[in-house]
Amino acid sequence: MNILDQIGFEQHKEVYSIIGVIIGILILATVIFYILGRLYPGEQTTELKRRTRSWWIMATIFITATVVHPIISFIAFGLLSFVALRELASISTNMRNEDRGVIIWCYLAIPVQYYLAYIGWFNLFIIFIPVLMFIWIPFILVVRGYTTRISSSMSILPTQLMFTVFSISHLAYLLSLPEIPNFNAGGRGLLLYVVFLTEMNDVFQFIWGKLFGRHKIIEKVSPNKTWEGFIGGLVSTIFMAYFLRFLTPFTAMESWFVGAIVGFAGFIGDIIVSAVKRDIGIKDTGSAIPGHGGILDRVDSLAITAPVFFYLVYNLHYA
Amino acid sequence: MIKKFTLRIIYLGCMRFFLKLIVGVKYINKRVLKAQKQFILVGNHNSHLDAMALMASLNWKQLPDTHPIAAADYFGGTGIKARVSKFLINAILIKRSKDEAGEKPLDQMSKALSEGKSLILFPEGSRGEPEKMQEFHKGIGVLLTLYPHIPYIPVYISGLGKVLPKGERLLVPFDAYVTFGEASWVKSKEVESIVQEVHSEIIQLKDNFDKQYKPKKKDHA
Repeated sequence: MNILDQIGFEQHKEVYSIIGVIIGILILATVIFYILGRLYPGEQTTELKRRTRSWWIMATIFITATVVHPIISFIAFGLLSFVALRELASISTNMRNEDRGVIIWCYLAIPVQYYLAYIGWFNLFIIFIPVLMFIWIPFILVVRGYTTRISSSMSILPTQLMFTVFSISHLAYLLSLPEIPNFNAGGRGLLLYVVFLTEMNDVFQFIWGKLFGRHKIIEKVSPNKTWEGFIGGLVSTIFMAYFLRFLTPFTAMESWFVGAIVGFAGFIGDIIVSAVKRDIGIKDTGSAIPGHGGILDRVDSLAITAPVFFYLVYNLHYA
Repeated sequence: MIKKFTLRIIYLGCMRFFLKLIVGVKYINKRVLKAQKQFILVGNHNSHLDAMALMASLNWKQLPDTHPIAAADYFGGTGIKARVSKFLINAILIKRSKDEAGEKPLDQMSKALSEGKSLILFPEGSRGEPEKMQEFHKGIGVLLTLYPHIPYIPVYISGLGKVLPKGERLLVPFDAYVTFGEASWVKSKEVESIVQEVHSEIIQLKDNFDKQYKPKKKDHA
């Protein structure tokens, strides 16, 4: 059997052509950021290089999953949620020592949530964390019996689950959406679309901010964020959303709208994590090697764009 | 032979994977290990996982010839616990005090060093309260006066005391960091001052680490 048939090249032409484009962009970005890093060594170019490195990892997983088996994506996203939750739990200074045993329950929710996404049990998928774990975690906290500052733990733990597990699992659920007529790219196309838009929105906000940034948007939380960067990024994202809409079932009008929402949501995710880090008093949320940012810094905007985008596309075309 | 092989399978095959991916152990400045053939790793002690995390950082060649030092009275003299720790952690079990036969606890370590083996030492002795450092025992100083040509590598371990603290059975994954200092040779010949030197190097590692990674303490009263 022909390898092209085997990987379903004809049915998923859009996805494969975009994979080609992505690899091209990644190579280009790597080269540009490498040169920039040589010319202007510093914190900000290092940040760009870190970003490209994580994109390479994401792209590799995506391509492997496309060619080999979709379950790889579910496992990869599950691991991403796990590492992000572990990082958030590790840096939280306002968690009590007695909460150790309860955090295990949060970790255990991850395989369940991703299994629900894998089998496509939508009704349970959307309530498992916001309703069931929202009740279960405070219940376990109460059963353990330490009431000092229990209300703080009751709020922190479910919020961490929402931010790192519930939200990111929506990226995985995109792959379980049913086929709809006249739309070939499917869940993989949607996944690519939202990840690409979110990452590019971050980069464009950064670049526009660097070039024209004058007016601070929210100085106390994130001093580098400016109105110029935000609006420039938003407009760029809207344009990209329009031009890449062949990956989605959206009409032209819808794609403008989705682009704007994704741009705005990405900004929200970014400043939420910035604010949390500021509260805790750290710069990067965790590191593999000294000076390298943690996973949370990589997924901050995705954690907000993923569910927002998911419910947009779900309600527009799948409901 | 079988033991060497099992150790390699356990640590390089499974343990390293488990510690890095599931527990979230991160090694900082691990390259210092590569340059040394024989060494004494000296670290702070908070968890049963400490020795395993250090073992898992070693390479194929170093692994079977490196022995963590553990207290015999804790791990049981001849029981199953002792056998397991000898076999799986590659530990040398020592008695904390002189026994009837007059064998000093240092003799076994000294013998291993003279055979070209490397050691993993936790001079705090016991694991103590989570994430707090205690006074160092003198053994490390005595060993280094006897073998001044063997480098010691200070290690600061942070976070594992949260993953598996003393007295807990449940392992909970949290990010943990193992920071290696540079290999150094003792300058002084005094036991006391060597202990001080090693201690202050680990404190130095801790301070650098805290500056970079640790959240600032805040009152949430």
